[in-house]
Amino acid sequence: MAEANTGTAPAIDSKALGEFAKSRSLTLGVELELQIVNTHHYDLTPSAADLLRVLRQDGLPGDVKPEITSSMVEISTGICEGYDDALNQLRQLRDALCAAAARLNIGLSGGGTHPFQHWSHQKIYPAQRFHHLSEVYGYLSKQFTVFGQHVHVGCPSPDEALWLLHSMSPYIPHLIALSASSPFVQGVDTGFNSARLNSVFAFPLSGRAPFALTWKEFGEFYDKMTHTGVVESMKDFYWDIRPKPEFGTIEVRVMDTPLTLEKAAAIAAYIQSLASWLIQERPVEPAEDDYLVYTFNRFQACRFGFDGIFVDPKSGQHTTIREHILATMERIRPHAEKLGAQHALADLALDARERGSDASWIRNQFEQEHLLEEVVRRQTLRWRG
Amino acid sequence: MNQSTLVAFLPAWPPEPGAIFWIALAVVSTGLLGELAFRSFRLPRITGYFLVGLIFGSFGFDLNATALTGSLRWVFDLALSVLLFELGTRVDLRWLRANPWLPATSVAEATATLAAVILLLSLTGADGATAVSVGVILMSTSPAIVMRVVSEFRADGQLTERLMILTAMNTIYSVLGAKLLFGWLHLSDGGNFFAALLLPVYVVLGSGLLGVVLAWSIRWVTRHFNLGDDNAVLLLLGMLMLAMALVKLGKFSPLLTPLAAGIVLKNAWARPIVFPRHMGTAGGILVAMLFFATGTAVSLNQLFAGGAIAIALVVVRGGAKLGAISALGLPSGLSMRQSVALGIAMTPVSGVAFALTYDLQAISADLAASVGAIVFSAIALLELIGPLAVEWALVRSGETHG
Repeated sequence: MAEANTGTAPAIDSKALGEFAKSRSLTLGVELELQIVNTHHYDLTPSAADLLRVLRQDGLPGDVKPEITSSMVEISTGICEGYDDALNQLRQLRDALCAAAARLNIGLSGGGTHPFQHWSHQKIYPAQRFHHLSEVYGYLSKQFTVFGQHVHVGCPSPDEALWLLHSMSPYIPHLIALSASSPFVQGVDTGFNSARLNSVFAFPLSGRAPFALTWKEFGEFYDKMTHTGVVESMKDFYWDIRPKPEFGTIEVRVMDTPLTLEKAAAIAAYIQSLASWLIQERPVEPAEDDYLVYTFNRFQACRFGFDGIFVDPKSGQHTTIREHILATMERIRPHAEKLGAQHALADLALDARERGSDASWIRNQFEQEHLLEEVVRRQTLRWRG
Repeated sequence: MNQSTLVAFLPAWPPEPGAIFWIALAVVSTGLLGELAFRSFRLPRITGYFLVGLIFGSFGFDLNATALTGSLRWVFDLALSVLLFELGTRVDLRWLRANPWLPATSVAEATATLAAVILLLSLTGADGATAVSVGVILMSTSPAIVMRVVSEFRADGQLTERLMILTAMNTIYSVLGAKLLFGWLHLSDGGNFFAALLLPVYVVLGSGLLGVVLAWSIRWVTRHFNLGDDNAVLLLLGMLMLAMALVKLGKFSPLLTPLAAGIVLKNAWARPIVFPRHMGTAGGILVAMLFFATGTAVSLNQLFAGGAIAIALVVVRGGAKLGAISALGLPSGLSMRQSVALGIAMTPVSGVAFALTYDLQAISADLAASVGAIVFSAIALLELIGPLAVEWALVRSGETHG
């Protein structure tokens, strides 16, 4: 959830929106929030500080940060060119993390929610910003013990970033259905494929970014918001996609953390191929009215996954999310091939067609084993690869 | 009608309350004082239980419990086996392989404790057998206190996990050490050399084998019964009791057997088995009674009978554990702060040490006479400060809940 900017209280953050940094078009950055579990009872365990300390001792190959509660960590790649690069970087991080975790006898797992953790047992990670967030949001911040994947896409200019942001918004349900891995919350099957996003919706500044296609327009909105005192920095917006001016990227934030690295990298590759197609072919122009069906489609994806209904914002035509994903993959195939992402996309298509999402995997495991602890143990094995 | 027949239905005066009355009174006081300790002073409840036991033990009250005889001994053994079994299920052998600094820490702290205690007692003029016996007994950390305080404060984290695994290991060392020691004593009393050597082997193999059978049976229960049910708890407690009865028949170790069962259960099957703590409410009551019983085993007189030597033992033992654990903490992946807290959390001594001391008494009356006072006094002191040390360490490391 919150950016892990440890030690910097929002009050110190500059309130100005600032310059939009330049970045190479279609470069990627992947962030994954991971669950730290006890290997005895498989509940979340507050060991982030221990894990980070051991990683520092071992010499860290990349970026690992604490998160708001002490039983999560976030790993981030550097700038990636595409699928292979992202996968390699993630693997290095994963291997270092798993080695450190083995020394501490803790488990690491993907998944958008921990299936049976109790929110009131969570502890806020000891850093000033997290304590501040905890004060502002109260129990929401603990209930926000959810785990997401964020993907940054490089944009050469802020206006292009905003254009891409709004062009990509209609595809948000695809990303939710593909990454969905949070059917269980607090020990019960919610019926949702991604129940994690329900926790995100509880935040006052979640949802979609305002429809602004130029950086100037966006800056005006931002100034008005900071003037009201409701927000103090970009970090206070928990939008599904938000611009990240410091990196010169847009950041897609709706995904659950998948159960495997390979899927995380594949989803990043799908986003990259989509962006490439949108920017280079400009198949549609974004419009405010696209958002009329936005929350409907998003809900369908969270609740029903691939089986959800997708309403085309331009034509109003109804299909299933599955069909729309497969059709879109077909359309963007030349871009995927150019970016070296065709195999990753084929694998995701297999999920959509027959194999099902991680949420279905979790449900199947539970049906076989009738023990959520055992399901989490199997999740840790999948994460370790 | 004369007067005596008229009031014959009235009880005798003065009344003569029997053991049941005093036990009942003790149970009521245990419940009240335990809660008082917890609510008013934020102390572990077991400190309250122990204090009630200490008071009842000190002032007689018909509870001739210094030898933990009869029904109390039965409660004592069963409760201890519940806790040892629980502790065993927290010993992950894969962890010991994955982090070699952990077994190194374990061996170092146990060796340092043994050496420090032997050295201290030698300096005070004790003979070799006495020094080694006390060393072996004080090597262990109390599984009972550790497991109870950990569950009472719902502790979870690195310190908690390491505290449990190190406690399990030094309990094993202590029990094995005691068996070797008994063999040695047997030998020096003119016993057979092979018998001396065979004793530890027999006990380890027998206890281990019984532990495996017990683990299999418990696993069977977990697969076919709902562990949240009283019925399943009854079955599990029954199995433990049966195992303890077999231990007695076979003269195995009542300490190693449940511990081995827990370790086998944890490591032979990957599927997690999550028991209700102390096997549910029934087990929880047994555990409370265990601390009461260990309290009755010492009296206020005994608490101070060991005098300066007992206090010196407590200090030296604590120093050895703290020193060894904080020296090896950093390479094993702890922070300095956690290492110190872990060293201090290893303080408690309780049921296992009592049990070993009684065994020693049974084997050598001379030795018991020479070490008895000092050991009882040291154990009583460590039993009193132990839960506080564990609580302090867990709170300081931020691993407690609620």
